[in-house]
Amino acid sequence: MDNVESRLVQCFGIIFPELNEKQIRVARKTSVQAWDSVAMVTLINVVEEEFRTQIYLEDVEHLGSFQEILTYIQERGIS
Amino acid sequence: MRLSEALTIIRQQACLQAPAFDVSLACGFTPLHIRTFLTAHLQLALEAKRIEVHTGLYGDFLGNVQRISSEPAHCGVILMEWPDLDARLGLRNLHGWRERNFTDVIDTVEARLAAVHNIVDSLSGQLPVVVSLPTLALPPLEPTFPTWRFSGFQLQLQHLVTSFAASIAKQTNIKIVNAAWLDHISPPSERFDPGSEILDGFPYSIKHAAVLGELIANLIQSPAPKKALVTDLDNTLWKGILGEIGSAEISWDLDHKSHMHAAYQELLRSLVESGALIGVATKNNPALVEEAFGRPDLILRKEHIFPMEVHWNPKSDSIARILDTWNIGADSVVFVDDSPTELAEVKAAYPALETVQFPKSPQDIYKLLAQLRNLFAKPFITEEDRIRLDSIRGSSTRREQLRTAGVNADKFLEQAQSVLQFFSEGRPPDLRVLELINKTNQFNLNGRRYTETELNQCLGDPYTFVWKVNYADKFGPLGNIAVVLGKNQGKTLVIESWVMSCRAFSRRIEHACLDHLFRKFDVSAIELAFEATERNKPLQDFLAEFFGERPSSRLRLPRDLFYSKCARLFHRVSEEVYG
Repeated sequence: MDNVESRLVQCFGIIFPELNEKQIRVARKTSVQAWDSVAMVTLINVVEEEFRTQIYLEDVEHLGSFQEILTYIQERGIS
Repeated sequence: MRLSEALTIIRQQACLQAPAFDVSLACGFTPLHIRTFLTAHLQLALEAKRIEVHTGLYGDFLGNVQRISSEPAHCGVILMEWPDLDARLGLRNLHGWRERNFTDVIDTVEARLAAVHNIVDSLSGQLPVVVSLPTLALPPLEPTFPTWRFSGFQLQLQHLVTSFAASIAKQTNIKIVNAAWLDHISPPSERFDPGSEILDGFPYSIKHAAVLGELIANLIQSPAPKKALVTDLDNTLWKGILGEIGSAEISWDLDHKSHMHAAYQELLRSLVESGALIGVATKNNPALVEEAFGRPDLILRKEHIFPMEVHWNPKSDSIARILDTWNIGADSVVFVDDSPTELAEVKAAYPALETVQFPKSPQDIYKLLAQLRNLFAKPFITEEDRIRLDSIRGSSTRREQLRTAGVNADKFLEQAQSVLQFFSEGRPPDLRVLELINKTNQFNLNGRRYTETELNQCLGDPYTFVWKVNYADKFGPLGNIAVVLGKNQGKTLVIESWVMSCRAFSRRIEHACLDHLFRKFDVSAIELAFEATERNKPLQDFLAEFFGERPSSRLRLPRDLFYSKCARLFHRVSEEVYG
């Protein structure tokens, strides 16, 4: 697990403390009950804070899983 | 504080098995991160409590304010932004930014503020309430006014809010967020997050939410104010090195470009008048310092300072002696010096002591003054604050007489002409009682703190009593120095809280308190809700006089045991009931 991935796992762990690391890596908006709209806003804000970036609204609607957020961060060269 | 840190603090507290501290937060927008930051900061300030921040419905500002009185909360928070006073003043609910609406907007805002005022009035005396006035700018809704020009409409709105605040501020349990200070720590241009407002109904940037949450938490649970300050002299209290230029040449005035030192003296003088202790630690020639304090133009004069440590030994030695004289912990003290080396030396010896460097440039003096004001800010000034310096001087004289004359303690106390008065507290409790319970560490039965609401609840219980203890002797009055909170349960008396100011040690006041309790309630034993804390060793030592060792938990003190071990008492005791 690289540095970006482990930091993203930590972000998810803050928002969804009931998930373990393995569950986080496969987490999807549709499969995690606690992943509601408030959790989504908070998660995006925590990720923005951790990676010192801004995630645009039009992108947020395509970020429905851990893997999608990880790919988004990696593709933009955010570290 | 970062959002992730705040969330982590909250997650950790969720597991806490602790009594709840309930806050009713009333706002018209989605509370989202402001709730998170407020909860986290309060959790840090109130470690022994589980913080619960209750919020209401989105868009129902008045209903949410009204709800504060119907919830079992320890504190209320009213957080208003312009759209809460009239939805037309926001981005989310567009109802037409037309000039013909402006008169009606003014009327609506006035009516809403009047309604909030009525609710706040009805809360008066029930619980403390923190009010935050609009922190965000009005939207650009006037066709003839660019954003850099004030309009009469905007000024009228601001006038309404300011008048409202000035009126509710007269009530003692209302605390209002200082907008000027907020401007200082959260730049207005960085507060609004239009994206978040439009999409989520949360108008604040995370940075602003963090700052505002901390500020409100500080208003709910103010950090314990510092009790005392030790200051250096050269290039701190005055400009110049006394030993090099002499007392006539040191300065603190505009002519010598040293006015920043006068401002510092002015602040210290103001602290003295609010009951703070000021000491001096300087590496200097005592005769020269004496001469310098003879100058009549000093703002902070010799009589305002006690003690003065003037010699060439390390400053940490001076601090040790000063702390001993004051009999307070290093964490209650601030040390100000212009030398980073001296500050570091003192900090190494006393890590809990707050060290502050006196600035080299006048540009930084305001920052220092604001920092010291915040460190020492007290919610009220009591009679004890006014007599504190004299009583410390009296205690020092007393100790010196005991030491030099070789008088034994019994003889000395017999001659002290001590008078103890016990006052039964009524509702609302005296602010000094709250201060003693919430500030005393060393002689504290269990470290338990009480909010005003909790103490009021205790006072409403017919079996509970709260005594305030006042002491005076021939060396001067100490004022109200102890509080006993207990329950009369027939044959046994349970003491839930017992605190005594460290200024009152070595006078057998604690013995006299127990003696008075036994006599007054005629009980066979007193149960003490004792818990060991990191700081209550003096109380543990006192109990060890009776039990032979320091206790570890709640205990029962039988009457026979107390009187078989109690030292001789010489106090004249009286009890007054009021409330």
